Amino acid sequence: MKQFEFFEGRQLSRRQLLSGTAAVGSVFAAAALAGCGGNASAAAVRDIQFWHLLSGGDGIKMQAMISKANDANPGFKVHPTVLAWGPPYYTKLAMASAGGRPPQLAIMHASRVPGYAPGGLIDPWDLDLLSEFGVTAQNFAPRIWDKSQNNGKVFSIALDSHPFVMFYNRDVAGKAGLLGSNGQLQEAKSPQEFLSMAREMQKVTQAHGLSFGYLGSGSQMWRLFYTLYRQHGADMELTPGKPMVADNEAAVESLEFMASLFDDTIAAQSGDISTGIAEFARGGSGMLFSGVWELPTMKKAGIPVDAATIPTLYGTPAAYADSHSFVLPRQLNVDDAKRRDVYKFVSDILKGSLSWAEAGHIPAYQPVVQSQAYRDLTPQIHYANAADIIAYDPEAWFSGSGSDWQTYFAETVQNVLLGRDKAADGWDAFVRRTNTLLSRPNPV
Amino acid sequence: MSSLATSHDSEGQARTLPGLSRQKQSNRTGSRSARPRPQGSRDNLNGWAFAAPFLAFFLVFLVWPLLYGLYMSMTGKSLTGANDSVIGFANYAEALADADMWHSLGNTLYFTVISTIPLVVVALIMAALVNVGLPAQWLWRLSYFAPYLLASTVVSLFFTWMYNPQLGLINDTLVKIGLPKVAWLNDPGVAMWAIVIATLWWTVGFNFLLYLAAMQNIPAQHYEAASLDGAGAWRQFFSITLPQLAPTTVMIVLLQILASLKIFDQVYQMTAGGPGGATRPVVQYIFETGFTGYRLGYSAAISYIFFGLIVAVSVIQFFITRRRSA
Repeated sequence: MKQFEFFEGRQLSRRQLLSGTAAVGSVFAAAALAGCGGNASAAAVRDIQFWHLLSGGDGIKMQAMISKANDANPGFKVHPTVLAWGPPYYTKLAMASAGGRPPQLAIMHASRVPGYAPGGLIDPWDLDLLSEFGVTAQNFAPRIWDKSQNNGKVFSIALDSHPFVMFYNRDVAGKAGLLGSNGQLQEAKSPQEFLSMAREMQKVTQAHGLSFGYLGSGSQMWRLFYTLYRQHGADMELTPGKPMVADNEAAVESLEFMASLFDDTIAAQSGDISTGIAEFARGGSGMLFSGVWELPTMKKAGIPVDAATIPTLYGTPAAYADSHSFVLPRQLNVDDAKRRDVYKFVSDILKGSLSWAEAGHIPAYQPVVQSQAYRDLTPQIHYANAADIIAYDPEAWFSGSGSDWQTYFAETVQNVLLGRDKAADGWDAFVRRTNTLLSRPNPV
Repeated sequence: MSSLATSHDSEGQARTLPGLSRQKQSNRTGSRSARPRPQGSRDNLNGWAFAAPFLAFFLVFLVWPLLYGLYMSMTGKSLTGANDSVIGFANYAEALADADMWHSLGNTLYFTVISTIPLVVVALIMAALVNVGLPAQWLWRLSYFAPYLLASTVVSLFFTWMYNPQLGLINDTLVKIGLPKVAWLNDPGVAMWAIVIATLWWTVGFNFLLYLAAMQNIPAQHYEAASLDGAGAWRQFFSITLPQLAPTTVMIVLLQILASLKIFDQVYQMTAGGPGGATRPVVQYIFETGFTGYRLGYSAAISYIFFGLIVAVSVIQFFITRRRSA
């Protein structure tokens, strides 16, 4: 067979190879020496590994908070590792814990704890030790503190709650005559009222009234669906070994309402998350359904943005939400000094979570929420009430943020939103899929 | 499991193996006939010493995981360490009755069928075009082969942007020439084809190289004789080139089938198996049940079912190539 050469006659000479190897070798040697020096001079500083899944603006804020905590505590240094949101993060965390080499501290969505706590992948928090650093149950809203429990023990310490909310463009709303006397958007009280408000906004933008990117994203579809579903006052129960308990009527009505949004006037039919965000950020629509974490993007875009919880269209105020929470991945051998450091670090971060609020999240630590500095943050304060109405995912080992279960929701429901399937059929398919999961052996 | 998941790596491995083993065989028979017997035992020892590093790797990273995986598929093992007990063939029974497994296996086979044909035909056309003697041959070879060198993440990102329903280049072009927009990655009927197009662009270069090498090995005298007899270019292509390429075609088709069966990376990154599970390949289902669903034992059982399928294809390949070379 003939030999191929992409660049004819180009070969590495022996001398080039040797000098290259020598150069690489010296770099390694220098690095090794530097490493020795570093270790020797800083022997007393304990290294804490901390994994999280916060990227973008959130990641920058978190890095600043970590640096601040490190500066305030010369005894330890927290080294963050940032992993990709969703399955990549959760599979790595589970495998590191199962393999006995997890970080000393990690961030998890509170909704994912039921998949980790029963199997022993994370350790419970010692509340006495926590209170030594000035953090107690009284510092959290009851709804959020309840969520931190699993089987009577506290497995997660919430940093925030981050609900799914409605951003709106004050200019567009004003031109459409929809601002109230307080300068904020009038609240729609029924689906029809909301649709007509959106149509008014469309007349102003000439593009769409509402931006909501959902294509290909189970999380996005689920966030809006579960908000509307819970506004019916409906509940959902997932018990392994039993069929799912849900209010089918409320579910179908919620899906039908969602499908009615995507008529290419109220909202674009073929929008994914990034196009939805981009459309709102450039003034192509009056409203955006998204998570609070999108606030920095909107502020940076320079549009007159305000925000509120998603209007109560079905009688019961509710907002889908989750919490970034601190968890202790199970160590094979707990280093007591490091664990103490972790408690100190977490308490420092909680107490300094005002800067986390700047990224849009609602701090879980009540002294921060009650501070004047937080009350002065707009539009954060306009949706701070969400903390009282938040609805976490129904608990099961397979549910929660970034879970496959949300992907299955997209699989069965996307065609409903695209107008290809009936809402009832899509919902039935999702119930069947969920029941299959519930019927299988529980792995945790 | 891991060798299945990294389709790209294992693809490369599978492709280099046949050539290597043939070479090894001829070396061995050569040395045996040339050397007298007495030194045999020392030769044996030396041989083992040379083979030891490979054997150690082979045992630790292939044989042991293979056996352990088989054992695991008979247990209820979970990623959290719960339910470690041996449960016999219960996982296999569950898998065979699992509609999602069949659906994902069906997707894998569908992808294999609709990707193999263009990946072979387009490679042949590209090789024929380059072989007719275009100037700057290295440029053609490089540009056809270069995409193959990209990481799957790069290719997936690139095509995800191109396919974006609102802002993508492809839909923009379609609209400009008066055609309707297509929901490339969001229409269950189109998504798999969109992935095939991306895969074609990405990997066709390898088959192209194999074809080109084979074409350049066809003796020029054949063409010379044919043109003296008055055969035109098309006639020469169909009566000389194609028949001479037959062994290469068989090899490419079978290697391509094996590579396509292991599809995972592009799908996971471009559609995550959606829309509606329409593109979820079986390797992704194995990953989901094992790593995000924690059920390692069950996912091992599915991977062994899939393994059986790949072994079956490989056996067919073995018999076809043996008949050809005999």
